[in-house]
Amino acid sequence: MKRDIFQAIADPTRRAIIALIALQAMTPNALAEHFDTSRQAVSKHLRILTECELVTQEHQGREIYYSLEIEKMKEIDKWLEQYRKIWETRYEQLDILLAELKQKEKEELKK
Amino acid sequence: MKPAEASLPSDTEVLVKRSFDAPVTLVWRAYMEPDLLRRWCTGPPSWSMPVCEMDMTVGGQYQWRWRNDEDGMEFGFTGEVLEVIPHAKIVHTQVFDPGNMGIGMGGEPSIITVTFQEGDGITNVATSIKYASKADRDEAVATGMTDGMEMSYTQLDKVLAEM
Repeated sequence: MKRDIFQAIADPTRRAIIALIALQAMTPNALAEHFDTSRQAVSKHLRILTECELVTQEHQGREIYYSLEIEKMKEIDKWLEQYRKIWETRYEQLDILLAELKQKEKEELKK
Repeated sequence: MKPAEASLPSDTEVLVKRSFDAPVTLVWRAYMEPDLLRRWCTGPPSWSMPVCEMDMTVGGQYQWRWRNDEDGMEFGFTGEVLEVIPHAKIVHTQVFDPGNMGIGMGGEPSIITVTFQEGDGITNVATSIKYASKADRDEAVATGMTDGMEMSYTQLDKVLAEM
């Protein structure tokens, strides 16, 4: 099954992993210390993130360091930005309508 | 007001938040009264909302249809009202009606939850769209994206022309 970035961010533990490795590359052991789950569970999340091409691995001696692919994360931003724009267009029209309704209410109070 | 914020709380959901400089009583009316809703829920200038029928009581049905008056293209949404808490919350189902645009979208209804909360004369509106599946969500956004981009650019053109 093909994986994509939305699957990557659908899980709260994976979102937390993303937040951690966004700051610095980390080993699975170091990451596991931040969670109540087992090292195996963290490895499974890292495998999914790797399949989504959101993280890259770097071997240093016996350790594997995981770091975040910032460019890939931006895809999510772009996608959401389009969605946000659709709504913002409508909301700007609602702003205008609400200003009118407020004005009308004021005028009726004066009468 | 700050522009709308969109986020992805889960694999099948999209959450959009926005604040409005008006008391909740007015914002609620803008959502509940067809004559008011069709004035803001339209999009770019060439689009109108010829069908805006709604019975906003629990179990009531609604039908919204938009039409591009330039090329006659139409699409819409229909659904059923599941929950209404005046001035606070409305929950309804939503099914895409492809009109004459020839684009399909997942047949399973999505669940729309709109919550309203007022503080200091500002009303915060949060809209959660829960799709039946992740595939439905991605398709809905992919379809809406093209239209939405067009809407935004047309709107921008209008604003720029007035400057």
